[in-house]
Amino acid sequence: MKILLKMIIQWILTVVSIILISGLPALIMQKDFRLYVQKVKEVALWLYRAGDMTYFYKGREMPLFPEVLSPYFYSITILIISLLLAYVMAQLLTWVTLLLPTFLRKLIKNVLTFFESLPDLLVFALMQIFIVYFYKKTHILLSNVAAMGEQRIYIVPIVCLMILPTIYFYKMMVLLAEEESQKPYFEFGRAKGLKDVYVYLFHVTRNTHENLFHFSKTVLWFMISNLLLVEWIFNMNGITHYMYDDFRPEILAICLILIAVPFFVLYALLEWLLSRKMKEEVAL
Amino acid sequence: MIRSVKFWIGLSIILLLVTGSFIHTLFFDSYIRQQQIIYDNHHNVIGAAPFPPSLKFPLGTDKLGYDIGLKVLQGAKFTICFAVLIALLRVIISLFVAIPYAFYIRSSMRLWLEKLLSSFYYVPLTILAIFILTPILQNTVNGFLYSFPMRIILEVVILTVLVVPLISVMIGNMMAALMKEEFVEGAKVLGASKWRIFHKHLLPHLVPKMLIVFTQQCVQVLIIFIHLGYFKLFFGGSFIDFNQMAPDPPRSLSNEWSGLIGNYYIEIFTHPFVAIGPIIMFAIVIYAFNLITEGMQTHYSQNKQILKKGKKNKKATLQQQPTIEKTENKFTFIDQKGA
Repeated sequence: MKILLKMIIQWILTVVSIILISGLPALIMQKDFRLYVQKVKEVALWLYRAGDMTYFYKGREMPLFPEVLSPYFYSITILIISLLLAYVMAQLLTWVTLLLPTFLRKLIKNVLTFFESLPDLLVFALMQIFIVYFYKKTHILLSNVAAMGEQRIYIVPIVCLMILPTIYFYKMMVLLAEEESQKPYFEFGRAKGLKDVYVYLFHVTRNTHENLFHFSKTVLWFMISNLLLVEWIFNMNGITHYMYDDFRPEILAICLILIAVPFFVLYALLEWLLSRKMKEEVAL
Repeated sequence: MIRSVKFWIGLSIILLLVTGSFIHTLFFDSYIRQQQIIYDNHHNVIGAAPFPPSLKFPLGTDKLGYDIGLKVLQGAKFTICFAVLIALLRVIISLFVAIPYAFYIRSSMRLWLEKLLSSFYYVPLTILAIFILTPILQNTVNGFLYSFPMRIILEVVILTVLVVPLISVMIGNMMAALMKEEFVEGAKVLGASKWRIFHKHLLPHLVPKMLIVFTQQCVQVLIIFIHLGYFKLFFGGSFIDFNQMAPDPPRSLSNEWSGLIGNYYIEIFTHPFVAIGPIIMFAIVIYAFNLITEGMQTHYSQNKQILKKGKKNKKATLQQQPTIEKTENKFTFIDQKGA
């Protein structure tokens, strides 16, 4: 019960900070603090009756609400699938890497530093160029490089979104596992005659999970920024179009809140599970 | 002196680009080659701009025949210097915010503040920056809202302030963790003031960590510059041409890199090298900063290991340093008494 109350308070704080932020452009444009307060009040009122919200599409005013939901679910599906895929891919790669000899691991880490430095826009640009080049050479269109109207593309944006997060997770996992393998329990496991693979798979992985959980928030933060770029580059009809097309604070606020909802719930759930597991372990 | 090859490689790449850029401005007056058409010996046209990368034009030329390599060189000083400036401001301001956070706020309060700030994880910086900076950086039909220096100041301030809460909590937590160490307890028992604990005991441990946070922030700022560039928000403002007949592309301050990205990205399918060139330069600079970070990390962790080993083996050379420090402390102690 206490945890639930905590979550609700945290959610209210999140919404309040989003509302406060969305009023900022008014403050900068009009250079008047009273106007900012007024704008913030307006945004809060709009959120209260979000059902009546409208947006402008090619000069016409349309109701926002049932309209925005389908692009919203589209964006969220892409985000969640790519986050999960990135995590799973990185975990598999890490297990393979840990079994390699030390000098190879060192090499891999150096290569990863290089890949980590690639700007996201470069990855997307190379992806576009590669698909077009491949099509020119073989006449096989791997995937549409841009969506038209209501058309939905999944593969390309998911691959684009997951490449860099995979690399971030991969590097973090390797570093954490190596740190973990310095600890006494690792040696103890080996002394007992357990195979390295077994210790890595069952003990090290479990012990690094908590750190990775906190790290994944940063990755998610990065991915939401990237979503904006990906949706623009591939002309996808996702939620960020509503944010960018119609530049009113109330639209920004509602879109940010919509994006935050599923991840907030997901992380609250995971945190609750983690804390419960910790308690169990302490009790044991 | 930092003993790490990676560190020096990274640092020299960045210094090379910045000094090169300044030399280009000071001694060559920011001259940018332009070649629209290539002729052979018989004055027959054999090629027209844009030219692909070659020995003469390492990054190729754009549609108007301007050398992209020189444009990038000219813009390097703005992009890199302002990225470093913003990162520096972020770290310094966060440090000042972190001091009261670590010293005067109870740990239960700290947990709450941290919870509040974790809502920032759902509001990505790029979207916020685009949203807040658009009225500042893009001109309307009536011109800009702010003057040129004001635009730069505002952009620097906004890109700094938006991140300060997150970084100061991070630094504050580092400081709070250090405060629990035994040597701080010892200093407290001996009656050290808060200021003394901060600058004699915490600061020496914090400085290396701050340096690493600083280079990481440089990378973050560069990434924001790329995103802003793609959305045509250039550093110092984008001059949009409202001419109905033949509008020019948005222009930026002296070929600063995010401007180059914004202007050239449209050509991704027709002339990929034109669009990719500036982004690759960003990649190189980010890689250089990452090398510096890694170099410093290995350097400082090795230092720690040497000290630990020194304690165990009681090696004379390593043992000398603490004794010197001790005698120094004695002198200052007497000095203070005399004063």
